[in-house]
Amino acid sequence: MPLGVAISESEVRRYMGFRGPVDPSTETDAMIAKAIKNLEKDCNPKYVSKAFSVTVDGFSVKFADVTVESRALARNLAGCTECVLFAATAGPSCDMLVKRAAVTSSAYASCCQAAGAAAIEAYCDLINDKIKDEYEAKGLYARPRFSPGYGDLSLSHQKDWFRLLDVTKITGIELTDSLLMVPTKSVTAIIGLSPNKLPCVKQGCEACTMSQTCAFSRKE
Amino acid sequence: MGLRERLGKEWLFCDGGTGTILQEMGLKGGELPETWNLTRPDDIKSVASAYFNAGCNIVNTNTFGANSFKYDNVAEVVSAAVRICREARHEAGRDDDAYVAIDIGPTGKLLAPMGDLPFNEAVKVFSEAIKAGVEAGGDLVLIETMSDSYEAKAAVIAAHETCDLPVIVTTVYDESGKLLTGGSIEGTVAMLEGLKVDAIGVNCGFGPDKMIPIVERLTKCCSLPIVVNPNAGLPRTEGNKTVFDVGPEEFSTIMKEIAAIGVHVMGGCCGTTPAHMKALIREVSPLPFRAPIKKHGTYVTSFSECVEIGPKPVIIGERINPTGKKRFKQALRENDTDYILTEGLKQEEAGAHILDINVGLPEIDEPAMMENIVYKLQSVTTLPLQLDSTDTEALERGMRIYNGKPMINSVNGKRETIEAVMPLVAKYGGVLVGLPLDEDGIPETSDGRIRVAKKIYEAADEYGIPRDDIVIDGLAMTISSDSSSAITTLDTVRRIRDEFGGHSILGVSNISFGLPARELINSHFLTMAMQNGLSCAIINPNNDHMMASYRAFCALMDKDPQCLGFIGAYAEYKSDGTFGGASSGAAGGNAASSTGGAKLSLAEAIERGVTGRAAEAMQEGIAEGHEPLELINAELIPALDKVGKGFEKGTIFLPQLLMSADAAKAAFEVVKKAMEGKPRQVKGKVILATVKGDIHDIGKNIVKVMLENYGYDVIDLGKDVPPETIVEAAIKDNVKVVGLSALMTTTVVSMEETIKLLRVKKPDTKVVVGGAVMTQEYADQIGADAYSKDAMQTVRYCDEVFGVQS
Repeated sequence: MPLGVAISESEVRRYMGFRGPVDPSTETDAMIAKAIKNLEKDCNPKYVSKAFSVTVDGFSVKFADVTVESRALARNLAGCTECVLFAATAGPSCDMLVKRAAVTSSAYASCCQAAGAAAIEAYCDLINDKIKDEYEAKGLYARPRFSPGYGDLSLSHQKDWFRLLDVTKITGIELTDSLLMVPTKSVTAIIGLSPNKLPCVKQGCEACTMSQTCAFSRKE
Repeated sequence: MGLRERLGKEWLFCDGGTGTILQEMGLKGGELPETWNLTRPDDIKSVASAYFNAGCNIVNTNTFGANSFKYDNVAEVVSAAVRICREARHEAGRDDDAYVAIDIGPTGKLLAPMGDLPFNEAVKVFSEAIKAGVEAGGDLVLIETMSDSYEAKAAVIAAHETCDLPVIVTTVYDESGKLLTGGSIEGTVAMLEGLKVDAIGVNCGFGPDKMIPIVERLTKCCSLPIVVNPNAGLPRTEGNKTVFDVGPEEFSTIMKEIAAIGVHVMGGCCGTTPAHMKALIREVSPLPFRAPIKKHGTYVTSFSECVEIGPKPVIIGERINPTGKKRFKQALRENDTDYILTEGLKQEEAGAHILDINVGLPEIDEPAMMENIVYKLQSVTTLPLQLDSTDTEALERGMRIYNGKPMINSVNGKRETIEAVMPLVAKYGGVLVGLPLDEDGIPETSDGRIRVAKKIYEAADEYGIPRDDIVIDGLAMTISSDSSSAITTLDTVRRIRDEFGGHSILGVSNISFGLPARELINSHFLTMAMQNGLSCAIINPNNDHMMASYRAFCALMDKDPQCLGFIGAYAEYKSDGTFGGASSGAAGGNAASSTGGAKLSLAEAIERGVTGRAAEAMQEGIAEGHEPLELINAELIPALDKVGKGFEKGTIFLPQLLMSADAAKAAFEVVKKAMEGKPRQVKGKVILATVKGDIHDIGKNIVKVMLENYGYDVIDLGKDVPPETIVEAAIKDNVKVVGLSALMTTTVVSMEETIKLLRVKKPDTKVVVGGAVMTQEYADQIGADAYSKDAMQTVRYCDEVFGVQS
């Protein structure tokens, strides 16, 4: 099944650790192109989403039967009345592609790994846009998506996503005891919905507390 | 009457949804439904009673998620469920014609290698629930909602090893007819038929209308009774509630349509109620019933591929086999699985359809190696495998953990071999190669071989293995010692097809043993054999001549639609006999061997990361009389170092570092080949592992490549490795340095545990740690000796510990 969205080569480069002006190596470009092609050929993206009402009180966020203590999420969701939780995966073939590549070429494996990361992010953007458009029609405006494990939103909340959305059955994503997701190219996130239209300037790397130390941070 | 006597002979009806009804009764989201067996037994009984009263013949116990990952008291939960269901049946007066199904759903965990649940652990978990269900009086085992064929296999094996009750398996496909893990309908059916389940079907996923195309495909390939249990449409959220839109009347109308396609057991899944079942039974039971029809197909499958034997010859790659290959033997002895996997991937790229796996060597533990290679190969290739061994234990270990229906090589006409191998094929399923030789040796005539082949077919009948799953070897033996042997072999192949309607196989290259220019004889013999009806050719697909024969044959015999396969392979063909890109077989990412103009030196090739040229330059250097070690020290290491320093300074990025590493690795491979059998010089032994709970191992793999290039012997323990395993390995080989990786803060905990255990059991071993969340501070906090931010730092650290000048 197609991803439904193109994987950007520049994003792949960023996930590979290229920074600043890049030496235009034809070998690397060819490898990236091959990784993207193979990934698109076999990927089997799936997602599940569900809407809940949400309340924000100080640093606690409440939706369904869950209370989340997170300063960053509370800030993100300030003024929101609704939220959508989702879980998405690019499917198991990405992991196999990386494993397979690792046998013969670690350089190609790193391309596949980066292409997989770019693929799931692009797929999440697609879902994000869909949710944004759907709710804008109802007069609710989406905030940038936020994921467990990001900033001070504890990874342990992964369990709530899996429980509330029946993630494993619908998407095939498994949550391991150590709270990691398999297939590895998977994302869980929450999108806040507010009746007030706010400019969302800060998102992604720029809003993250790790942006100064992270090797993959997007920098101008 | 027992269920087995009725399945496939009359309409039978399963029950409908349980979870959705329990939610109506107040089950909260996230509350485990099976706890109600103990806390609210009357409510559970009321659901079962309603289904028995609606006329269902097969009613599930409330045990879908009852496994030891979720419950400490699985046996208690399951026995209570079976007891409740039996009481409900009795009260409904249905003891004589309805059955209590021990309901088994997925564990919620993904099996290794994709996930973290080992196959045999999954079997154990399923066995616990099934055993309790059997002891409490269940009548059958219904394995349902499986979206991974591997997990379904584990559950079936658990059922068969626990009891003799009938086993029904239903899986969930998406709209394209695929399991979540990628398996097809045809492949799943082949695997489950091989495992000898009693009925196969589909459930859940979506409503009955969308199931029609899937059921149509099922009826085309499945010989067993077919079960169809759809949802009441697609689930939809209304407020905080899940609702289903297809009501009983609409449901039963579509089910009537499905009944006419030719299915045998019908019921429902999520959102369906006793009212749905009542309507279904009312509509379908008066319809004429058609018994399942035996299909004749021979399928070999992997988790995602399904290769049919028969329509056109199948290529089986022969290169994973130590016979006559020093380098391969060395890889087996040194447990160098990457080398073996590379052999597999090369053959896949060259066009093989199935890979033969033979890892027999007197001095190694063949059963363990077979299991290991099968496990690892199926995590990197989608091709089905042919398990090739004379060691029955090796065959069984491989068959058990194989994700699909394998080929088995082989059995022969000797009673002893038949009794050792056929029970395994009967249990696990597989397409079995039969060699027509017996206690009297190899028959010299095709008459003799056909006689033994007949004996093998009859033995298969005896063990309940379908004749479709037998492939007879024509026994190719060299014409250099008996010039009529090819004729005998070709006769045998033809007669297998004509007299038995059977399939044949040949180890093609045996025909030319002892002759020069073997590929010439082999490739012509292959064409002749295919013309005589050969079904499977065991060959070296990396050989251009062999693949040319195969592709030309397929094009000529209308087995290559529009000659697309042929054109695709030979678009670059030159009439001077060079095959262009036909089967270059380079599995790596960058095989370019020249960058135009002058040839690169070894050092340049490594610096620029040109894999093919690096290997070639090393080859040339050795051919010119240089010592491999001299080339390594004078060219390879300095080039690697230059790149490594650039990386450390930030002028070179990770991908470029890795390309150089790959090029160096390729050059080393040439050295290994040149020094076959001779001991290598190593700086020291290092253990690498991604810690327990963590499955992100790409960083660790990069460190491994770099350390190996710098002359270290790396013991790679893989990912999700428990502390005990790491400590044991460190003690066993007295390893000085252990490198640990972890991605998340949640798994750094296991890193800390590992370090603590090492300090107690092997205090002189140094620990270096790395990973996305690691920092020097964090490393100090958990008691590591060093923190490495990347692969180069790890190399530097090891050099420091082992006292190497750099």
